[in-house]
Amino acid sequence: MSVSGNVFRYPEEIRDDFLQTADIQFRDGSKASPAEVWHYLTEIGPKKYPHIYDYSNYYGRKISGDVTLPFSLKHNYLIMTMDERMTKAKQNGIPVVFVQGGQSVDPYYAAGAIALRPASVGIWASCQHEGLNLNQEEVRRANQKEKAYRAISFEVCQSAGYENIQEGTVPVDMIAPYSCLRCSDVSYGLEAHRHGKRKDVKLFLADYPLDHQKDKEWAITYFAENIRRLIESIDELTGGKTTAEDLRKEIKLHNEGRRLAMEIADLWWSAEVPPTNGKDRRDLFQMGGMELHGDPEASLSLLREAKGYIAERVKKGQKGFGVSDNPVRIFVCGSCVFPNEYRIEEVGGIVVGNDNHWSDITTIVEEDGDPFYNLAKAVLSYPYEQSIKERAKWTVEQIKRSRADGVLFLYNWGCNTQSAVARALVDEIKRESGVPTLIIEHEQQGTQSEQLQNRVNAFVEMLK
Amino acid sequence: MANVSAFAGVDVGSLGTKTVILVDGEIAGYSILRTGINTEENGLHGLETALENAGLKREDLKYIVATGYGRISAPYADKTVTEITCHAKGAHYLHPQTRTIIDMGGQDCKAIRLDEDGNVTDFAMNDKCAAGTGRFLEVMANVFKVSLDELGPLSLRATEVLPVSSTCTVFAESETVSLLARGERPENIIIGIHHAIANRVGGMFSRVGIESDVFFSGGVAKNIGMRKALEDVLKVKIVEPKKDPQLVGAIGAAVIAQNSWKRGR
Repeated sequence: MSVSGNVFRYPEEIRDDFLQTADIQFRDGSKASPAEVWHYLTEIGPKKYPHIYDYSNYYGRKISGDVTLPFSLKHNYLIMTMDERMTKAKQNGIPVVFVQGGQSVDPYYAAGAIALRPASVGIWASCQHEGLNLNQEEVRRANQKEKAYRAISFEVCQSAGYENIQEGTVPVDMIAPYSCLRCSDVSYGLEAHRHGKRKDVKLFLADYPLDHQKDKEWAITYFAENIRRLIESIDELTGGKTTAEDLRKEIKLHNEGRRLAMEIADLWWSAEVPPTNGKDRRDLFQMGGMELHGDPEASLSLLREAKGYIAERVKKGQKGFGVSDNPVRIFVCGSCVFPNEYRIEEVGGIVVGNDNHWSDITTIVEEDGDPFYNLAKAVLSYPYEQSIKERAKWTVEQIKRSRADGVLFLYNWGCNTQSAVARALVDEIKRESGVPTLIIEHEQQGTQSEQLQNRVNAFVEMLK
Repeated sequence: MANVSAFAGVDVGSLGTKTVILVDGEIAGYSILRTGINTEENGLHGLETALENAGLKREDLKYIVATGYGRISAPYADKTVTEITCHAKGAHYLHPQTRTIIDMGGQDCKAIRLDEDGNVTDFAMNDKCAAGTGRFLEVMANVFKVSLDELGPLSLRATEVLPVSSTCTVFAESETVSLLARGERPENIIIGIHHAIANRVGGMFSRVGIESDVFFSGGVAKNIGMRKALEDVLKVKIVEPKKDPQLVGAIGAAVIAQNSWKRGR
């Protein structure tokens, strides 16, 4: 069933070691043992989702070949079981809320809901289709994209996700993003929902004040009130009553994820040689946002386990699978898109960081005091949502910490926000950090073209 | 020839496959062929033809570098490098004072800045638009029922520049047809097309900047009208190429092949 003629198989030799690793802990108290995960990845997954096992470098979402990193295997398991897990949660009466990329999800979980960003909704929808090879999956994605154009806007980006709600593909109960100006899909989605058919899907907009919002007391209080109303809105769905203590507890849990991701990043960045490849690094860092798997506890159990493995590799000076000697280090900024990491590694580069989700992950919420106020203050402090000057300052810090040699700013076709700030932000970054930069408009389709790759490769060659 | 150390650069572009053989740092042979549908065979055929032209055999080649869009299907190559890097090395080889390159090929155009050693320091490429490409000019040549080679000389016979507003291939074609229907002189429309492209390319230079000496490479660089329009619009003097500008990418690839072999990789 492989299009590339190269099918990935987890090697039997790693089985025994993998079986010694930790269980995945889920939010509902259940667990997945490594034996279950192994069985799924080696027996069920290849039959259910052949496209995921297509082992071509042209497939940016292909499985990482770094088989001795247990979190990498478990992450794949969690992605492949998205439909099963979400269906189970829905059967248990847990509402699913559609949120925005790059925002924290503490209040949604505090109120007993599952918060999914557009990309996760897309993964859930994809998992409903079994037995597709890579070409068939790409065709499915392209068709899905056309539906998004019709349902939302011609300018919508590839990770839209809202079309799945409009069509009822995935049973989302509520749409409730923060209204920050990071993504033009939010406005398109809200407008589409206003005139769309799905009136049964509740709508809530957490109104995000802009313009030095983090420094204004009224703005913090105002947004705290929005969070309170958001939680009350979810309570109406569950019939429960969420307390301030529930939110405080949830914030602590998410802070642990955020802190772990930052500690792991510091380890990763401190290493002489990159301890994982770019794909595993991106997944690992992003887990700190606690949204990736639709289950914060599951993400947390992976992060807790991963830290030791990364520390061990850094100590031994062990290089991630597929990483070349002395690779050119690239920091990726811009929209919620990323280049094909495998192909960058092929030509001697590696992506060492992204600014997008990292912005909310690096924003720790104060744990003492009013949790609504604290959360509002943190959310209004996301570096990505600040003025160009402030955002650039934070980005330069990340570039320095990650020891990046160059900055690639990718904005999505149709991304009206990131395309608007690209030039000014990149000029500021270049001026402050002194590293070479390149701005590229990302394709409108999910599959990246040779044109885009050509620019990225030339940039890597330029930095060598 | 006994004990020859030859190096090849193969530039498999969207329209043309160019190959250059270097021996002792000098161009010993080359070939320019029309790119067909079998990418790997195109490169191999280009190599054979250039070797024949140089009077050499395959065994004489110590190192091969492939570039251009076809480089991803070049199992015969020891290394692949993007054409951006290759154009910089090629232009530096032909004219070491080059600091800026305008490259116009079959399917894209690029603005490349380089340092005194021929290393790329910045670049910009056209995006999702055919303006400034060989393919665009081919479509236009077809409208005027002339060959691609005739477009440039025809534009030099213009008495005035007619404004052609669109650089979208399809719309520019219909705009041209309308201008012809209105009775405008073909040469004046052709020079207008060249100016429209030069303006578009000018946009890329506002991003990366322009510094002398300016080198014009790629298949479109053979077009004297395009060269003139670029000089007029960008207000720069373009250096006279010592070799066919279409070969620049392949020359750069061959230079990289020679350097890589010397460094032992």
